Amino acid sequence: MNKCIYTLASVFVLSSATLVAQQVDFTEFDLDNGLHVILHQDNTAPVVTTAVMYHVGAKNENPERTGFAHFFEHLLFEGTENIGRGKWFDIVSQNGGSNNANTTDDRTYYYEVFPSNALEVGLWMESERMLHPVIDQVGVDTQNEVVKEEKRLRVDNQPYGSFLAEVKKNLFIKHPYRWATIGSMDHLDAATLDEFKAFNKKFYAPNNAVLVVAGDFQTKDAKNLVKKYFSAIPKGKEVVQGKFVEDDITETIHAEYNDPNIQIPAIVAAYRTPSMKTKDAYILDMISTLLSDGKSSRLYKKVVDTKKMALQIGAFNVSQEDYGMYVIYGLPMGEHTTDELVVEIDEEINKLQSELITDEDYQKLQNKMENQFVNSNSSIEGIANSLARYYMLYEDVNLINNEIDIYRSITKQDIQNVAKKYLNGNQRLLLDYLPSAE
Amino acid sequence: MKKNLLILLGASLLSVSTVLAQDSVDRSTMPKVGPTPQINLGKPQTFTLENGLTVMVVENHKLPRVSASLTIDNMPAAFGNKAGVTDLAGSMLGSGTKTISKDDFNKKIDFLGARLSFWETGASMNSLSKYSNNILKLMADAIINPVFSQEEFDKQQAQMLEGIKSEEKNVKSVATRVQGVLTYGANHPYGEYASEKTIGAVTLSDVKNYLNTYYRPNNAYLVVVGDVKFKSVKKEISSLFSNWNAGEVPSVSLNATTNASKTEIDFIDMPNAVQSELAITSTIELKRSDKDFFAVLLANKILGGGFNSYLNMNLREAHGWTYGARTSASADRYIGEFRASTSIRNAVTDSAIFESMKEINRIKEEMVDATALENAKKKYIGDFVLSLERPSTIARYALRIKTNDLDEDYYEKYLQNLNAVTVADVKRVANQYFASNNMRIIVTGKGSDVAPTLARLGYPINYFDAYGNSVAKPVFKKEIPAGVTLATVVSNYEQALGGAGKVAKVKAVKSTYTASMQGMLLKQEVTTMAPYYSLQEMSMGGNVMQKSVFDGKAGYTEAQGQTVELTEEEILESKSEKQPLDIEVYKTGELVSIEPIEGKDAYVIKMNKKKTFFDVESGFIVQQTTEVETPTGETMETKVMFGNYKAVNGVKFPHKMTVFMGPRSLVFNAQSIEVNPKISKKIFK
Repeated sequence: MNKCIYTLASVFVLSSATLVAQQVDFTEFDLDNGLHVILHQDNTAPVVTTAVMYHVGAKNENPERTGFAHFFEHLLFEGTENIGRGKWFDIVSQNGGSNNANTTDDRTYYYEVFPSNALEVGLWMESERMLHPVIDQVGVDTQNEVVKEEKRLRVDNQPYGSFLAEVKKNLFIKHPYRWATIGSMDHLDAATLDEFKAFNKKFYAPNNAVLVVAGDFQTKDAKNLVKKYFSAIPKGKEVVQGKFVEDDITETIHAEYNDPNIQIPAIVAAYRTPSMKTKDAYILDMISTLLSDGKSSRLYKKVVDTKKMALQIGAFNVSQEDYGMYVIYGLPMGEHTTDELVVEIDEEINKLQSELITDEDYQKLQNKMENQFVNSNSSIEGIANSLARYYMLYEDVNLINNEIDIYRSITKQDIQNVAKKYLNGNQRLLLDYLPSAE
Repeated sequence: MKKNLLILLGASLLSVSTVLAQDSVDRSTMPKVGPTPQINLGKPQTFTLENGLTVMVVENHKLPRVSASLTIDNMPAAFGNKAGVTDLAGSMLGSGTKTISKDDFNKKIDFLGARLSFWETGASMNSLSKYSNNILKLMADAIINPVFSQEEFDKQQAQMLEGIKSEEKNVKSVATRVQGVLTYGANHPYGEYASEKTIGAVTLSDVKNYLNTYYRPNNAYLVVVGDVKFKSVKKEISSLFSNWNAGEVPSVSLNATTNASKTEIDFIDMPNAVQSELAITSTIELKRSDKDFFAVLLANKILGGGFNSYLNMNLREAHGWTYGARTSASADRYIGEFRASTSIRNAVTDSAIFESMKEINRIKEEMVDATALENAKKKYIGDFVLSLERPSTIARYALRIKTNDLDEDYYEKYLQNLNAVTVADVKRVANQYFASNNMRIIVTGKGSDVAPTLARLGYPINYFDAYGNSVAKPVFKKEIPAGVTLATVVSNYEQALGGAGKVAKVKAVKSTYTASMQGMLLKQEVTTMAPYYSLQEMSMGGNVMQKSVFDGKAGYTEAQGQTVELTEEEILESKSEKQPLDIEVYKTGELVSIEPIEGKDAYVIKMNKKKTFFDVESGFIVQQTTEVETPTGETMETKVMFGNYKAVNGVKFPHKMTVFMGPRSLVFNAQSIEVNPKISKKIFK
């Protein structure tokens, strides 16, 4: 009898939805200038993160001036009225901190991590950047060269480095997602200083940003410091995000690209998918996990492990604000061809479309999502980034605590439906990513 | 003309406009910070099994998760003609045990949403705490009761071979391989690499032998961090890992490494490279337990250990040559390494080497700024504080004390030791450890672009293949095809412009080009007329900044209210170029080479200090470079690129000119080009 109860209990543990991750508590308020502020107090370690996310990314660029958003991420380290050129990094180091920034098609994110005694320094720096960055020709010229080197490093000299740019170019016709985030070097060369200043004025306003302060402080003190440094920053004009609607893809798009840095070709099957805010995007995350996350995943196990046809195979979901991209890729082994890989990929997709996944697979997905969720809130900087992202791009900060509920609500039928809705052969790009001829 | 432009450019770059915002808060200086937060460095709870496995446990219940990592701390060993046997051994672990098939093993891990992986000297797992017991069990089972099938071995071997093939054109991976070979020697464990040949030579029994010999608990540490209770996890681990048998791990003697007797350049040709991989290396005798460790740590930090270091501020922020440049001085129980490394644009590889060596020598010759040292210390203190956010830090430090023979209170005294380093210490250790006279400057890059420029640096140059084997100096220069001569290049150019007939009809040209600089409009107006008349005016924001005139006999330059007459030499030079379209002048030059300009080949005609580049395909002039002497006596090269050729009255003129000055460039676009306009000779007075 006891044994039966025990077995029953362990089954229950595997399938129940108990509270798993730490609850992330936060306070929100708006300043008069429109800056949205989120504070998350956590006093377990003497560490604090100050972070600002601006709602500007590559998708806000003029098609004749691509690369501006990313370029700004570089430019806004050049200095402010009160922080001399080149001093930004000195100030961060001398206070024992670290900092960085990154740009996507949707937003630009800047952050510092400091020992908690330097909270005020972090706020001062970010307010300086928002209020009056120095944008001059010296900075523009230097960063122009640096960005070109970044492109050479990350794209031109990188095996398979152009693959995402090629996918975007082919999947998007009207939407600005069609160009690479790093942009065109010709566009950057042609840009004038006035254009850079205008871009700053238009997008780098408090009403187009969210400030997150997370870590070891007292909420009341942090609130006062935020007001002290950010209240005087003038409000900018309202930023209206562009609306670009793509026509459905109804016939397979075929494309080819030659990469001088590779020896083994790759095949890429890519599908245009809906905004990351939709439930369908979450479902596509799950499908990726099912197809290629872990050695027991469907594509990996079949194509790499059992049939030994591929050196690598993978599926991932690129989540973006307006549209997503669902990408499956493979590198054939030895004598095998990319065409053979397409057949295998299609077989797995057909299976998803025609059959419900098993209970076991379903439970596996739930367990993986739960593990991912617990780990996603493990660092203060990570929490700060998530709070900013959920607020700005998902328009729902509470996702930080309840995103797992979305995954839990997904049914086997949902998975089948989404596979049928988006992952059809006539809705995709087939990109032959080939070595350059000798 | 170009020289004038450059001077103007330099002057205006100095002016920076400042507009102060009205603000009630004093934001002019950095806010004062309070004292560094108190650091409470805990210790993990530890126990050792009879087989030698030391277990460290850090309880942290903030999140319901557990991670564990196993480190087998053997001496490094080289495997010669079976190099790579270690990689294969690592990938064979976890592919089934005596009681569970590979498929079921993998399925179980995935089902629980966990991660478990193995490599030749360790393993790691992470999972939700409710499943950690299951995963630890799988880890122990895979280590103690492995089953290796020939089929799995064949698959892993084939994948590894394919993986090597896939990296053949990867500049970074070739660079890394050769850097190891040259710095440590091909027979040293840190220098040897797996190749198609050595991987091909490995058999399943080699893998079994390796694991039998080296994958033993004697020198192993298992670190468990997270949501566990010490008492129960101790019981669990003791029962899971006690059956792992100790064995005799052979102690090996490592080959001695040798640094360059005199600093040298080692070049590896990768024709597809768009950047050079630069690494300046030497081995160093430095251990974490050494008294000098902290001083070297700080010296390296200032030289190249961070963004605001000598090296990065020079190569990236001052010159814009790279996305980043760093140095490292790694402490190692067996042999450490100093390295300065960066990925650098082809065209400035030589300059980057020069500047890098300059910075290395600077920290040896100059005392570092006391504030810079203070800031470097603060950065380490900050890192130390920030690292405490991760519960694994305590375990990592404890593990390091064990594996590096450090004093038990090493980390309690860490900040004290760091703070004790003086400016003089930094200089002393820089001289002791950064042996700039005995380094290898290893350049992996595009030979035809980069190699010819390296000679001027004055270091001996050696050449190596992609595996670090010495080779004879390759021929990088492209051959000028048979039949191509100075005359054909010039005549192709004339043809490209519109043909001799049309060119001859051009008697005068008036052109206006503009560029934007700091939001100001820069305007260049040039009027030329046969046979030698020329007038150039440069204006900024409507004001004429500079004017140059030549009427065939005499001329002058007027700038900032001063007039300077042309010297006899300058008059002769001006007279050598017939206006307005002098094609003949190139026939007095010499066809010297083919060189790539932005990826397209161009013929180079050299005249004195000027080189003109004619695009092979189109025939147009695409670039001109001139060597000039700076006031300080150094030679530098000025460069102008031409593009966007468009016809005016049947003759093509470049409608875009890009003027380069160091890393900066200015793009001039044609606003108007008039052919044979009415011109009064008076304007040339």
